[in-house]
Amino acid sequence: MRKIFVSLSVALFVPLVNLASAQDASLIEAAKREGKVAWYTSLALPSSTALAKLFQDKYKGVEVEVHRTGSQRVLQRVMQEVQAGIKNADIIHTSDAGHFVLLKDKGLLMKYVPRGTAVIPDGFKDKDGFYYGMRATLTIIPYNPKIISESEAPRSWRELVDPKWKGKLVTAHPGYSGIIMTHVAALLNQFGWDYFKELSRNRLHLVQSANDPAGVVASGERPVGVNCAEYFCYKTMKQGNPLKIVYPKEGVPLVVSPTAIAKDAPHPSAAKLFTEFIFTKEAQQMLADREGLYTGHPEVTYPKDKPRLKELKLLPVDPQELEDKNAEIKKRFVEIFGA
Amino acid sequence: MATVQLNGLTKSFAETAAVNDLTLEIADGEFVSLLGPSGCGKTTTLRLVAGFLKPDAGQIRVNSEVVSSPSILVPPERRSMSMIFQSYAVWPHMTVYQNVAYGLKFRSVTTAESDRRVREILAVVKLAHLAGRYPAELSGGQQQRVALARALVVKPEILLMDEPLSNLDANLREEMRFEIRRLHDEFKITSVYVTHDQSEAMVVADRICVMNQGRVEQVGRPEEIYESPKTRFVSEFIGKTNLLSGSLEEGNRIRIGDGLFLRVANEGGSRRGEKVWVCIRPHDLELSRAADHKQSHVQEGFNSFSGTVTRRIYFGDAVDYLVQLAGTDLVLRVIAPPGRRFGMGEKVFVLVHPERCVIVG
Amino acid sequence: MSLPGAGVLGKLRVAGRPGLRRIDATLPVWVGAALFLVFLMLLPLGSIFVTSLRDEHGITLRNYLDVFTEEAFFKAIWNTVVVSFWVGVIALGIGALLGWLVTRTDLPWKRAIRALVMASFVTPPFLGAFAWTLLAGPNAGLLNKLYRSLTGSEEHLLNIFTIEGLIFVMALYSFPYVFSMIANVCELISSDLEDAANILGAGKMRVALSITLPLAAPALVGGFIIAFLHSLSLFGAPAILGLPSGIHTITTQIWALFQYPPRLDLAAAFSVPLLLTTMCLIALQKKILGRRGYSTVGGKGGQRRLVQLGVLRFPVLLLVVGILSLSVFLPYWILLKAALSKAWAVPLTWDNFTLGNFGFAFFSYGDTQRAILNTFKLGILTATVGTLIAALIAYITNRQIFRGARFLNFFALAPLVVPGIVLAVGLFIAYTRPPLALYGTIWILFVAYLTKEMPIGFSQAETTFKSIHPELEEASRIVGANRLRALRDVTAPLARSGLIAAWCFIFVGVIRELSASILLFTPKSKVVSVVIFDLKEEGQIGVIAVLGILLLVVSFLVIFTVQRLVGRDVLASRE
Repeated sequence: MRKIFVSLSVALFVPLVNLASAQDASLIEAAKREGKVAWYTSLALPSSTALAKLFQDKYKGVEVEVHRTGSQRVLQRVMQEVQAGIKNADIIHTSDAGHFVLLKDKGLLMKYVPRGTAVIPDGFKDKDGFYYGMRATLTIIPYNPKIISESEAPRSWRELVDPKWKGKLVTAHPGYSGIIMTHVAALLNQFGWDYFKELSRNRLHLVQSANDPAGVVASGERPVGVNCAEYFCYKTMKQGNPLKIVYPKEGVPLVVSPTAIAKDAPHPSAAKLFTEFIFTKEAQQMLADREGLYTGHPEVTYPKDKPRLKELKLLPVDPQELEDKNAEIKKRFVEIFGA
Repeated sequence: MATVQLNGLTKSFAETAAVNDLTLEIADGEFVSLLGPSGCGKTTTLRLVAGFLKPDAGQIRVNSEVVSSPSILVPPERRSMSMIFQSYAVWPHMTVYQNVAYGLKFRSVTTAESDRRVREILAVVKLAHLAGRYPAELSGGQQQRVALARALVVKPEILLMDEPLSNLDANLREEMRFEIRRLHDEFKITSVYVTHDQSEAMVVADRICVMNQGRVEQVGRPEEIYESPKTRFVSEFIGKTNLLSGSLEEGNRIRIGDGLFLRVANEGGSRRGEKVWVCIRPHDLELSRAADHKQSHVQEGFNSFSGTVTRRIYFGDAVDYLVQLAGTDLVLRVIAPPGRRFGMGEKVFVLVHPERCVIVG
Repeated sequence: MSLPGAGVLGKLRVAGRPGLRRIDATLPVWVGAALFLVFLMLLPLGSIFVTSLRDEHGITLRNYLDVFTEEAFFKAIWNTVVVSFWVGVIALGIGALLGWLVTRTDLPWKRAIRALVMASFVTPPFLGAFAWTLLAGPNAGLLNKLYRSLTGSEEHLLNIFTIEGLIFVMALYSFPYVFSMIANVCELISSDLEDAANILGAGKMRVALSITLPLAAPALVGGFIIAFLHSLSLFGAPAILGLPSGIHTITTQIWALFQYPPRLDLAAAFSVPLLLTTMCLIALQKKILGRRGYSTVGGKGGQRRLVQLGVLRFPVLLLVVGILSLSVFLPYWILLKAALSKAWAVPLTWDNFTLGNFGFAFFSYGDTQRAILNTFKLGILTATVGTLIAALIAYITNRQIFRGARFLNFFALAPLVVPGIVLAVGLFIAYTRPPLALYGTIWILFVAYLTKEMPIGFSQAETTFKSIHPELEEASRIVGANRLRALRDVTAPLARSGLIAAWCFIFVGVIRELSASILLFTPKSKVVSVVIFDLKEEGQIGVIAVLGILLLVVSFLVIFTVQRLVGRDVLASRE
């Protein structure tokens, strides 16, 4: 049975391999010689390992080392390693687009234009070719339908400051998560810091990752999240957990998560190959299908039960703005919420 | 075989001198005992000789080569010595045989030769039948003999013993003293033996070195030490003694009280008018009733004092009296044979030959 | 004899065969070990002081000023003091009660109780804290759910994400330290001492107050300080329980200062007061314990009479089991449940059962495999090297091999006063730059663990050597063995079980270490505790549970194997 499957998949891939240019062949060859690629990523652990597996199955002999942590931690580790002269990271991927402004400024990124990015819209790429949005997600309000009925559920960001939610809310942390950093920056543009001050009176439960509120809400520990990565909530919901998603009417922050190759990547060819792979339709479609993410690829189709991006009022944030506000947001957030 | 010279040896621990300017020569094949109360520095001296400690001043020479000085310390394993420890220090994880054979590993001895020597020495200390036992299965005396065998099997040039018998019970201790002396007579190893028990030192040693507060008080053959103590300390420490103080006057007489004079055989280098101490062994005093006062004693110039028996203890082989001399506070201790008894409160004469009255510095 | 070489030849001849040599050839080994130790301790601590006093312009006190005028930092210090104080008090209460019960009363199942206390000791506090988030989260926590279903109440019974919750959990994992001190002392106070007072006419109560309590008092104070210090240095538990409600402690604050952009200068300045506090407390403890030392208590063991609990026997046992279920049974149960379920908060039915967490942890996620490998590599390596060095150092100080050897004591025990995270700050500063660029490799973790575990290894080794009469070794030297040979042939075999226990302690200590690792790892050099912490931040509950169980299982396996091997109670020899 297994044999049949293997030969079937080989048969499927043969045309692809044939189509690949000589340039590709030499890149694959070089990548295999390097043997692995270190991927510093903030993509949720199950998603990133799934993507890595897909790549490894395709390019046998090139191992993807998934080093997953929150966006801000990824940056912290990258910078610490740079300072200590350690060359370990090949690919850097976070959900805080501001990081890439910083990394690019410091000359820590390698310029590389994957072929797949030609079709990707401008909002997803650096004009100088250093980084590209590999995925996008939204931040939304998750709630637990077992505890909160649909009619009670908050419909807007503003509603969350209502004292009736006191002790019932959870938030993720911009000091850890790039998604939440972007989220806070987007809502700041709408409401200013006063909104967060009011919110803090409801005694929020603080978690770190933008994915964690999904679990907290589903378990009932806090029935409502004031933010959460939409793709993870979607996944959690699809797995049968008690969780529903509200796309607030004031608009939803759009978080584009770039990926880039480190300038001193110890495995540059494998890094390029993986980056090429990320922007294939195959990989992008997989992110959409399996992980509930949005992507910049125009041909990718999305699950029927997810809203189209164009149906929503999006609140995008400029990477440069994110970089400028990064320190302030971290500091103020800690001041307001205590940690 | 070896000679040992300690020269001006000094060792301090935290400001207190444990050994202070100690000089001692030990002849080849001689058995010397370091004797003194606890804390007198005798064990420190032994450990200096062994090379476990480095002197602060002075030297130790073995066969006239310096092995210890403030700048030189030949490590213990290079000194061709052996040592028997107070705790026996028999290795609990090795059998009797392994314990004894251990030291031979460091000497180029063939296995067969080693085996022969181990068996031989085990026979000498009467442990041959226990060769396979572990120390925990042995009695104290047997462990002691393992330690002895272990020290002797390597044929050391010098054998050091640190209170080797102090952990044994009285009977065994007595037996082992003679055993140690017998082994010394057999092997003629230069030996240093530390003890606080004077009778032990008397039995085993050719010469005794009495130590006090880090210094040598007196060195000599056992009978010298006992019969002619040079210092008050020695006279008090070795055996029982009566110590009398007084001033030396004309005619070898010492005034020990109001109108009370003691004749001594010689002045021991003291000058007239000087205050001296006189040591009289209780055994050397005789008691008599006025009635049977021996004329011979008077002729021989015995000192004679009248007094009263104030205490009497019967020991079986002797009777221990205290006699208060008439008209004074002086009390003499007299150990007399049990043949003639004197009662409590009885008026007696105490007699002692001037030769038995020794001036001790 | 006038020839130049004659003197030397003479010397060689004098002592016969082995020959006389002036210098102890083994000296380099001792001096080497000593220098290594001093270097190991001084470099990181020195780096902290230097960094805390510098900015880009030179020497300054600005860092200290910044740290102590910032309200958030001040709050963190205050939180730490409050938490540590109460942890000390509660741990003292539980530890002293249990310690007394198992040594001086006729409580049943004492061996089992001791084993469970050991289990609490072995459980990493961060794992306990994590388990308690599942048990007593205010809404989803299983205990709260149980409470609500039993009472019909809307409210929660417990909220673990509070200062009180934090104190509670930290006390659960600090009390074993107090326990072992008190149990030790109680075993040493002979009933004779109490009888002596009894016979003079003192009543039972009077005896307890005037004899037993004063004799145990130094241990009580010492136990309090140990528990206080232990909680002061914890990172994982406050990070897991405190941060979600915005409660920072000193350790989490130092950790936060490492986030980008890192403020090493502030972290260093913030570490110094923590360092000084622990120093003072240790000094105080030494003074208290030293003055009325155990020597008066110790010495002859004497006979101990057991207090008859009578009708209270069963209720007291119930209480003890209750306490231990808080630190052991409940957390272990919830971990097992979380590891085996798809959704931890719902009952473990067949539908909810999965081995997926195990599969993911061990096969799908490369990080965990590497981390497990790193952890055990580091555990074995550190335990082996650490035991060796600790043994050498303990040997040097015990036998006073060279002048000043007793000062090594200080260096070997110095890490006691250095909280793991402070040590990590120092190591990070010291070892991220050439020539000692260890950062990025597992070697920096090795150095951290070696430093951190040195006191335990050292005191274990020292106790062992103390119990071996020096004459045993001297006996071997005098017949021809040099120091190292004597150590190998005599001391080492006799010290074997003690040193194996030291190995075991270090190993268990290493594989659960979080507070230093959290600053020193790189993605390449992750260890299990760090992976657990990472996963915690992402909310991967099932996988954390799997890894936690792995740590516990390995720890217990090691302890039991070693106990079998050595044939005695390893933990009993602690102290």
